[in-house]
Amino acid sequence: MAKELDENITSVFQRLLPFAVSALLLLFSYVPFDFMFLNSIRPAMGMICVYFWLQHRPDLFNLGSVFCLGVLDDVVTSSPLGSNIFELLLMYVLVNNTSRFLNAKPFVVLWYGFALLALVTMLSRWLIVSVYYSQFLPLSMLAFSYMATIAVYPLISLLLAFVQNNFIQDDE
Amino acid sequence: MKRRRSLFLHLSHIRLLAKKFALVILFLIAFVLMLINKTDTVIIDKTSSVATDMFSPLIDILVVPAKMVAKGYDYFKDLKQIHQDNIRLREENRRLNMVYDRFRALEIENKLLSKLLNYVTPPRADFVTARVIAEEGDAFSHSMIAYVGDEKVKKGQIALSDRGVVGRVDKVGQRYVKIILITDINSKIPVMVEKSRVRGILSGDNSTMPKLIFIPLDATVNVGDRIVTSGVAGVFPAGLPIGKVIKVSKNEIVVKPFSSLEQLEYIRLVDYGLEGILDNTQETPQEDK
Repeated sequence: MAKELDENITSVFQRLLPFAVSALLLLFSYVPFDFMFLNSIRPAMGMICVYFWLQHRPDLFNLGSVFCLGVLDDVVTSSPLGSNIFELLLMYVLVNNTSRFLNAKPFVVLWYGFALLALVTMLSRWLIVSVYYSQFLPLSMLAFSYMATIAVYPLISLLLAFVQNNFIQDDE
Repeated sequence: MKRRRSLFLHLSHIRLLAKKFALVILFLIAFVLMLINKTDTVIIDKTSSVATDMFSPLIDILVVPAKMVAKGYDYFKDLKQIHQDNIRLREENRRLNMVYDRFRALEIENKLLSKLLNYVTPPRADFVTARVIAEEGDAFSHSMIAYVGDEKVKKGQIALSDRGVVGRVDKVGQRYVKIILITDINSKIPVMVEKSRVRGILSGDNSTMPKLIFIPLDATVNVGDRIVTSGVAGVFPAGLPIGKVIKVSKNEIVVKPFSSLEQLEYIRLVDYGLEGILDNTQETPQEDK
């Protein structure tokens, strides 16, 4: 009985872990740093987490998790409510439709894949928010944010891989 | 057997449909939220304030290790500069002493002249010092979350750094407030050129430098001109420093804020008692008690 309960708790913990880690990383990405430039160029942490978990553990990171992460991102920022949700949902759709090309590929291929999908999602959001404000938003800021996102992807995926390997058991 | 198989197929189809339908619904929710947000309703304002209050303590905890890393870096960086800073500060101190004497003389002169003219002094300002716990600035928005504790803060209050205006309070929670920076696309501040008194609007566009718009066609604005608040609309008092003009071209006048908006640790939220045209009904709930 106790063993069963223990297994259940472990199972719930493992199911919640990808979302919990992603939410923490997302909040951490908004912590102000005293280093110059670091606060004005922030990586899109939510997008990195969604891409990573959908590539590696889609069974533990479903549509609901993607939506909740988008809501959290929308709450912390002051960008139009719903725009972060849209971005992450679009990433979800794109990853699901490209997973057969990227599944079980070397890291570099996954990185390139992320660079491509992140470009599409960020540009789509840029377009939607530009329509929302009836004015084009500065593309230079978007470019910096995109480059920062691509640059930190290996580091964040290393961290997430550590979580996956050490705290989440394989299904088999 | 056949019937069971067809039933199974049926269920899997329904499940697949539901999965696809869920995605469409969630996309629709995102769009509906954007539309509701556009109408700037009180419900969204209040919900957002409550949500900010819920998640901000988490960021507040995460700030601690980040600050430790930053402080360690700063310590070693500062060690290198201490000697040079010392020489510079001695010189600055000597200069400031002279300025202070001049300031005292002018203050007395100003008091005497104000008395002669029967000048009505502006209202006394109350302020709250708030600690910045989260910052964000990208192509989509420029804002920050600050911890105010139990202090009373109202929507629309001005956020100042030691160098000038940085933004205004947009959402007010129990202990946290969200501040829209002057670089945000939603920020529009009535300003004037300090020297020529030419009036205009300082408008953010989500880049790092706000632009000066709606200035008279025949007005002359030069690079290096200081931009201060004009006091028009009665939200911001006149004369608060904001930045200086760094580029004047045919299409735009670019202003560089005096404060480095990406390095703010503490800010002052000032209440000048000027209600202006803003709806200041939203405030920290402590006052209701």
